[in-house]
Amino acid sequence: MQTASAVSGSGGSSGVPASLRGILPVLVALPVLLVLEWLLSNSPFASYLLSIMAVNIILAVSLNIVNGMTGQFSIGHAGFMAVGAYLAGVTSLALKDVALSFLPVAVSDQVFLVVALLAGGISAALAGFLVGLPSLRLRGDYLAIVTLGFGEIIRVVVTNTEAFGRALGLSGIPQTSTVAMVGFWVFLVVLVSRRIAGSSHGRSLWAIREDEVAAEAMGVNTTGYKVRAFVISSFFAGIAGGLFAHFVPIINPGSFTFVKSMEIVVMVVLGGLGSTTGAIVAAVFLTLLPEALRSAFAAFGSESTLAQQVDQIRMPVYGLLLVVLMLSRPQGLFGTKELWEVIPRWIPRRRKGM
Amino acid sequence: MSGPLLEAVGVSIQFGGLKALSDFNLAIHKGDLQGLIGPNGAGKTTAFNVLTGVYQPTQGEVRVSGLRVNGRLPHQINHLGLARTFQNIRLFRALTALDNVKVACRGQAALHVEGVGPGAKFRGALRNYRDWWRALMLTPGFLAEERELTRQAEHLLEVMGLSHRRDEEARNLPYGEQRRLEIARALGTRPKVLLLDEPAAGMNTREKADLMVLIRKLRDEFDLGILVIEHDMKLVMGICEKITVLDHGETIARGAPAEVRSDRKVIEAYLGDSYLESHGGAA
Ligand SMILES: Nc1ncnc2c1ncn2[C@@H]1O[C@H](COP(=O)(O)OP(=O)(O)OP(=O)(O)O)[C@@H](O)[C@H]1O
Ligand SMILES: [Mg+2]
Repeated sequence: MQTASAVSGSGGSSGVPASLRGILPVLVALPVLLVLEWLLSNSPFASYLLSIMAVNIILAVSLNIVNGMTGQFSIGHAGFMAVGAYLAGVTSLALKDVALSFLPVAVSDQVFLVVALLAGGISAALAGFLVGLPSLRLRGDYLAIVTLGFGEIIRVVVTNTEAFGRALGLSGIPQTSTVAMVGFWVFLVVLVSRRIAGSSHGRSLWAIREDEVAAEAMGVNTTGYKVRAFVISSFFAGIAGGLFAHFVPIINPGSFTFVKSMEIVVMVVLGGLGSTTGAIVAAVFLTLLPEALRSAFAAFGSESTLAQQVDQIRMPVYGLLLVVLMLSRPQGLFGTKELWEVIPRWIPRRRKGM
Repeated sequence: MSGPLLEAVGVSIQFGGLKALSDFNLAIHKGDLQGLIGPNGAGKTTAFNVLTGVYQPTQGEVRVSGLRVNGRLPHQINHLGLARTFQNIRLFRALTALDNVKVACRGQAALHVEGVGPGAKFRGALRNYRDWWRALMLTPGFLAEERELTRQAEHLLEVMGLSHRRDEEARNLPYGEQRRLEIARALGTRPKVLLLDEPAAGMNTREKADLMVLIRKLRDEFDLGILVIEHDMKLVMGICEKITVLDHGETIARGAPAEVRSDRKVIEAYLGDSYLESHGGAA
């Protein structure tokens, strides 16, 4: 595990003014995302699938900061996603009739979307702080228990709150999410995750994961670091929820169950606890798997029931996947390494002289 | 002459019915090199744990630079200038040797964050989040700080003779080098007092001899006060100016090596008859 790589990697762009270096990747990514948006403007299904995938990537990469890098065990990520989804949704509904008349509609929509997303993200971060502060002080499995409880509490609260549409859910949220917007947040969470991993903060998180007592003895404020990692992670879960709320027709408590939380945990474990690119690959795989099964079933017989059953067999499939993984490759696909550190080893070496 | 850097006054700790340490007193000044010895289970490591805030004393007071630290967290006590190594090596196993030390250096860099007075906690929190922001934005100041950390850590690796292991994972280092890496890591926090828990355990005779020289050198170069727990009598007697002997949590003797060596109680409780025989009798 060599944590310096990210810094030296990103700092290598020496031709760029220092003030721009931090946001350079964003400047590069934006036009790419806009082109992608334009290419996909006529394929709603592809856009939808990409958006789902993006939300899952954001969830997995952000959970990896806590469960992977810091070695804690949170199993309530869907709860923070729910906080983000509902708060962003409610914000958008409240702002529905407001318009920035001096801007084109498409642009004004995106501005409001960002406002709603930030409302969702910040609420989730706040929830993360309130949940994290007491439970991260303690060592061990308390976090798992508390986050599990938190996820369920959020569901109960939502189900009983009129403003959140109770069990029926919240509908009519403007469908303003775009491929470019979800892509931007995917990009951002990956950037943040990698930069944390390569900084002294990330090093302290790794140290906590390795040995909390030793880290504390070496002057690392372990509770502080854990809480900050948890807050950042919750923020992005909230953003993911907010995005989700703006491209599905309706959000209800059923979208944020324990099953969803476990799905995210499986993604992180599958990719390798601590590997950002591992989390991405696993998120993509586990998003496409059910879709692939669904279309495969649909192709064989047009029995719609079979296709519907895919959703029901999800949990056992995840369970099975976890068991197989733990037995055959407990460190996950990539372990703590990143894609570019792992790939060269998979490619058979060329002979010398070639 | 200023007061002691580390002080224990009447410290006792009880685990259920077991009094692991009773009425323990200690004072370490700048430049001291003291030893702490005693049979297995005497309470030596427990004493370290109480001094560094891992355990809270049931009685008595621990002071670092004259400041009462009872109730403070280990990382706060470390920031005040107390660092330690562990008997059962506790390196960050999957991190490289360099990163192990950098973690500790980082803890020191964040020291200014924790001030005192009203609002300090809030300011500290704000500053922490700003620090993260700087890391995310790769500000020039942040990058310069990272380079400085690397430089410091590299220097400490060199001091401990570990430069050749810079990029190796800590778990892959041989035993003796792991012990030295623990010391390098502890030094990264820039301590005033260093507590070494059996630094020579598992080392061969040559490594032990080198370590003795090294510990003295550290004391002089870094202006440290050092307290060593060690079972190897040759090492302890060779480098320590003052030795405290524990048995069943009680301090049974204290003094210069020659005094301790000839103390009746110490011989009975710890050094044993075999020691007497091989050293031709002490009394
Ligand atoms: N956390 C704890 N809970 C209960 N008992 C403890 C705890 N820590 C230490 N003890 C007990 O306190 C006594 C002193 O232990 P300690 O580890 O301090 O001995 P030591 O002098 O370091 O011995 P050694 O030379 O074997 O390292 C032992 O009897 C031990 O079992
Ligand atoms: Mg011990």
